[in-house]
Amino acid sequence: MERVSFDDQIQRNKIKSIFLIAIIFVFFIVFGYIISMILDPSYFFIIMIVATIFSLIYVVAGYYKSDKIALASVNAKPASRTEHRMLYHAAEGMSIASGLPMPKLYVMEGEEINAFASGRDPNHSVICFTTGALKKLDKQELEGVMAHEMSHIANYDIRFMTLTAVLIGMISIIAQMFLRSLWFSEVGGRNRDGRTQIILIVVGILFAILAPIAAQLVSFAISRKREYVADASGVKFTRYPTGLADALRKIKGEHVQESEKKHRVSKAMAPLFISDPFKRKVQGLFSTHPPVDERIRRLESM
Amino acid sequence: MLLWLIGLAILVVLIFILYYNRFVTLENRIDNSLSQIDVQLRKRADLVPNLIGSVKGYAKHEKGIMDEVTKARKAFMGAKTMQQKVDKGAELQRALGSILAVAENYPQLRANENFLHLQQELAAIEDKVAYARQHYNDSILSYNNLCKKIPGRAFASMYGKSEKKYLEIPQEARAVPKVEF
Repeated sequence: MERVSFDDQIQRNKIKSIFLIAIIFVFFIVFGYIISMILDPSYFFIIMIVATIFSLIYVVAGYYKSDKIALASVNAKPASRTEHRMLYHAAEGMSIASGLPMPKLYVMEGEEINAFASGRDPNHSVICFTTGALKKLDKQELEGVMAHEMSHIANYDIRFMTLTAVLIGMISIIAQMFLRSLWFSEVGGRNRDGRTQIILIVVGILFAILAPIAAQLVSFAISRKREYVADASGVKFTRYPTGLADALRKIKGEHVQESEKKHRVSKAMAPLFISDPFKRKVQGLFSTHPPVDERIRRLESM
Repeated sequence: MLLWLIGLAILVVLIFILYYNRFVTLENRIDNSLSQIDVQLRKRADLVPNLIGSVKGYAKHEKGIMDEVTKARKAFMGAKTMQQKVDKGAELQRALGSILAVAENYPQLRANENFLHLQQELAAIEDKVAYARQHYNDSILSYNNLCKKIPGRAFASMYGKSEKKYLEIPQEARAVPKVEF
């Protein structure tokens, strides 16, 4: 297995995060510019100011509130200390083993075994487990998964992955807006129809280009390597690879109804989870997670 | 030429600061992991009276074992240095182990909600002590590596830092008595 320096990984994640924030910011400005071109160039300044303010708010909110947004989007609730005692024990044990501050713990409804971590740095981190995971995993397995999530926190994966989710969410929102606006194509006014048409087509092409980039971003956000690294450094905390391997085996073995998993998680959130919540049958170029079998194999060879 | 020299001087100062901070960070990590061990040991000692209370009601005849646990707790509370605390903590753990083993003979006690809860807490604390110990050993290891490797070695002697000795922390018996339902 390739050697990975965790310091390098952390540095890379921080740099990539800044890069992502810049993309989000520039994206809104460009978008504002295009809108002003479509509507009326005389509104240019007002629209640009609005676009700048809006993108600033979006970036700041994305950075500081990303964990809250992620938790709200899956409807997670804070874990109670009396009801989810095992979860707290696992988290406390792992926070001692890793030397990280204790993350806030949340629980989301869902039969499937899954979990994700979010936040912007180790001091502002959350970990969320599904109720299914709490029911089906035993102590060692729970600790294994917890250690995996804690290493996402330690490596600053959470900041980068959550920002990616924010960016992808944004692109899909704008794509939606654009598609709707095509229905009301009187935006352009009376005698500028030709020009409006052209600009709309250009925007359409722009999104056609952007969509695959977004998909690519998802895959490189999680890049399988990131998951392997989290598996490996998780084992550094528990010293017990079998725990996580057993948990992954359970995840692989479970059958969740198609309807059950669809509505709970939005596509943008997928890279945050320990196992792909969409469980695609085919492992494609753009799949967000490495194949479970390979992860188990690597864990067992440790 | 002068600019280059100033640049070089700044770089050297930065490197000195960087290494100093690394020593401080690693030392803090060691202190922190030690205090974690302390916290967990104390928590365990705090659970003892509660445990004795719930065992008493069902197993009056086991006075000998209970006295032993109480004594071990007292010895732990009186410990001053970290090494003493760790040693006495391990003794307390052994005494607690025998009380839990004896409890197996009292089905009513084993069914007692409070007792079960305490048993789980003790098991969790045992795990946490083991993890804290592991983190402590790791921290000492990376500190000592910094002290011994080049170029850290040179900085270590300059700042008067030397290798730290490992505390002898007895391995927690992680084989927890299984609770059958």
